[in-house]
Amino acid sequence: MEGSMTRVISQLLLAVLTVSMLVAGEGKKKVADFTLEDCNGVKHTLSDYRSSKAIVLMFIATKCPVSNAYNTRMAELQKDYASKGVTFIGINSNKQENAEEVKNHAKEHGFEFPILKDWNNVIADKLEASVTPEIYVLNSGLDVLYHGRIDDSQRENRVSSKDLRAALDRILSGKAVEVEVTKAFGCSIKRVQ
Amino acid sequence: MTRFAARVCLFAFCAVCLWGCGSKPGQEGSSGAVVRDSATTQRIEVSKLDAPALARLIQERHGKVLFLNVWATWCVPCVEEFPDLVKLHHAFAGRPVEIVGVSADFDDEVESKIIPFLKKQNVPFRVYVASFQRQEDFINGVHTSWSGALPASLIIDSKGERKWFQVGKGAFDQFKLEIEKTLGGL
Repeated sequence: MEGSMTRVISQLLLAVLTVSMLVAGEGKKKVADFTLEDCNGVKHTLSDYRSSKAIVLMFIATKCPVSNAYNTRMAELQKDYASKGVTFIGINSNKQENAEEVKNHAKEHGFEFPILKDWNNVIADKLEASVTPEIYVLNSGLDVLYHGRIDDSQRENRVSSKDLRAALDRILSGKAVEVEVTKAFGCSIKRVQ
Repeated sequence: MTRFAARVCLFAFCAVCLWGCGSKPGQEGSSGAVVRDSATTQRIEVSKLDAPALARLIQERHGKVLFLNVWATWCVPCVEEFPDLVKLHHAFAGRPVEIVGVSADFDDEVESKIIPFLKKQNVPFRVYVASFQRQEDFINGVHTSWSGALPASLIIDSKGERKWFQVGKGAFDQFKLEIEKTLGGL
């Protein structure tokens, strides 16, 4: 009886420890700190946002039809989660999309989050980002807690899995993200050779 | 009892996974759902490609190497490289090589977008439209390392083994070289 009780307690402790490690980002891919200028010339350092409950990095594009299909959803996500302590940062790594174009695109679509211009796709290479849109959700330790798509369909009326929202809701409630990696069709990031 | 319960759970999990990876009820693979262009004499067929059809396409090679290109009408680099795929088909005519395109457009855009594009390209090879309940299952079915970025090209040898995979725009000479390597001529 005592033996089985000890076993149950140790299993419970192990479960609690595992969940704590996952929320804390133990064993996750870590993003090295970086500084980039946004399309207005303002410098942003990733570690400056460490006090956020989560940092959402979004690789986006101005000309990609898939990324553009998500413009409204990205603006809504920022509105819904910024007040909950989540920071949204857009990153444009496409070689053919200049800062002026990125700035106009952001204004046109009402983006209230900064969009950093990743010249020579240095950050895309470091994170191994390959597609737009592509999302990385980080904790305060800059560990990747979620990587993948915003949801499972370019067409909003066909969405059945709101993956980014699900991940953020889990993180905000102190739980481990259930589906950490997802995939979807998108435009390849146009890199310098 | 515990072991029995674990086996039951494992069986249920596998059953759910297999069900989830399957095609939508009512959707057919390469053998059905063919759309024809009736406006011209040019015969253009775009079949729906589901999970079993993709598995058959990769595994049942009948002695031929497969060059599979995933593209979309909305993808600029895909559109740019498409003429090279047509050229590739003609370059390997009479040799054991099959060029196949799979469109990542929506499967209800066959007549409105895919066929008009294929007509303009005068496409001589088989083209499918990906028709998976979960887009992710198609992406992983093509290559587990693939993020879903388009275009993507895959070479399968005559035994059904993946030999080469590339994400992003390629060109005729590069594709030809990789096919020749797989054929064993280089």
